[in-house]
Amino acid sequence: MTESQVNLTTAATAIKPGRVGFSLHRVWIIGLNTFTESMRQKVFNILLIFALVAISSASFFTEFTFSEQLKFMKDFCLGAVSVFGTLIAIVGTAQLLPNELENRTIYTILAKPVRRLEFILGKYIGMALLLFISVLMMSLMLGAVLKIKEARMVMVAQQGVDQASTPDAREAAEGDLAQIRADTADLDIIKGIILIFIKLSLLAAITLLISTISTSMIFNVAVAFMVFFAGHLRSAATEAWAHHKIWLALLAILPDLGAFNVADDINLGNLIPWQHVGLVAADGLGRIVIILIATHLIFAKREI
Amino acid sequence: MNAICTKNLTKKYALGWRQGRLLALDSLNLQVNDGEVYGLLGPNGSGKSTTLKLILGLISRTDGDAWVFDVPCDKVQSRLHVGFLPENPYFYKYLTGMETLEFYGRLCGMRGAPLQKRINELLELVGLTRARDRRLAGYSKGMLQRIGLAQAMIHDPKLLLLDEPTAGVDPIGSRDIRDMILRLKNMGKTVLLCSHLLEQVQEVCDRIGVLNLGKMILEGNMETLIRDQRRLTFTVQDLSDSARAQVEATVRAAGGQVLSVAHPQTTLESLFLDALKKDERGMGHHD
Repeated sequence: MTESQVNLTTAATAIKPGRVGFSLHRVWIIGLNTFTESMRQKVFNILLIFALVAISSASFFTEFTFSEQLKFMKDFCLGAVSVFGTLIAIVGTAQLLPNELENRTIYTILAKPVRRLEFILGKYIGMALLLFISVLMMSLMLGAVLKIKEARMVMVAQQGVDQASTPDAREAAEGDLAQIRADTADLDIIKGIILIFIKLSLLAAITLLISTISTSMIFNVAVAFMVFFAGHLRSAATEAWAHHKIWLALLAILPDLGAFNVADDINLGNLIPWQHVGLVAADGLGRIVIILIATHLIFAKREI
Repeated sequence: MNAICTKNLTKKYALGWRQGRLLALDSLNLQVNDGEVYGLLGPNGSGKSTTLKLILGLISRTDGDAWVFDVPCDKVQSRLHVGFLPENPYFYKYLTGMETLEFYGRLCGMRGAPLQKRINELLELVGLTRARDRRLAGYSKGMLQRIGLAQAMIHDPKLLLLDEPTAGVDPIGSRDIRDMILRLKNMGKTVLLCSHLLEQVQEVCDRIGVLNLGKMILEGNMETLIRDQRRLTFTVQDLSDSARAQVEATVRAAGGQVLSVAHPQTTLESLFLDALKKDERGMGHHD
């Protein structure tokens, strides 16, 4: 301590005496800190791998028609957004509370006038922000790769139009060109991305709930992945166990994660109505709220 | 008003399936007065950290009550005026010293220029000004302890709870932290200090309590407790052998017993610090 001639001012702007109410400001500070910490742990490096996957997907399936190539690309890349996002959501969230305990930071934060609800919500919001930025960056990369692919295919199709020797061939080439433009202008991929983001936020909430019960990161990750797989199998299991009421009741607790995947519909060229997106999103958001309430109730009683 | 007051504070930990419960703290009645430095001593597992956690509301009590400045400990507002340095803190490794203090300051409702001023002062006070922009992953143990002390003081709390503040810190750092505690005392702050370094506790504490197996086995004023009423010590300088024999004879003639006559030893701490001071290259730096 370099010689203590430092004059300390009293922290006049610190907390005013009296009741300490719930503060969204503190939630945001904890959230932003969680986001910064995750970002500096180089979580975004995983996005570089995504970029490679997206770019290389543009050179796959070239033996198919223009339209099929675009569909496969969207399907493949949406799948990749989902896989990389799931890794970030589960592994990133599973380590939040164990790290807080290991580094003793949870003690220093909760020793300040901070409510446990503010702490746990802040941790969740930080992770949701990380997922949002990750999905946004992957979507931008996907959009850019699609644009480049479109430009290349338009160029090839245009050559086909220019070099067509018969009116029929010319008509077919113009049809190709129109189809490429229609396929790339299709906004269903945005619906797919919105649903993936909500699915990832739901997975993060589930993982946070698990980590308020267990302090082992490996356990948290393992259980979260089990819920992830079970959630994807839910609709199939519901059909198989249609006559077993107890099983059906248990299955109802599980989120139907398969419902968030619309890549197959995009691939098949099915229209995805906004109403469907809205219903699935509302189900996901409702579950997130319920899970966060449960997380708070458990965390409020937890011995730290 | 007491800074801390506990009545029959008891904590039992569940040990797991069919293993019963461990009594970690047994009916503790503790009173820490406003403005004093209180040392809570005891071997490992005696209940010191449990006491701190109960006071901070981090764990729930099994029985009894606890208050901080007359506010029950399970209320968030009981922590308005409390700063806490946990044992072996690591903090957020990817934040710099400056960002760490900003984070804790903002959590306490501070912002803008007053917060920056306070951070600069605290960094200067704990000797980390030059390491302010370095990430905590690169901080030494002593530096982490210093930034921990600064975060505990960021909102200018009236009460500081320090759990082993000098654990793993070198003698110079340890002395600095001791000076810091004395300085806090002069500023009118209340400090509850848990430490194994008895010598240091003796130097800074007004009162101490000794815990063993969850029970307070000794408590009182430091001066009174350590004073041996039956024995006296004279320290004299430049006394000839004959004069010394005369003194001893006088003591015996008066019915006293001479228990020991020896040259006092300096402490290892003084020896170490003197050696460093004499070194022409100057003292080691922490940042």
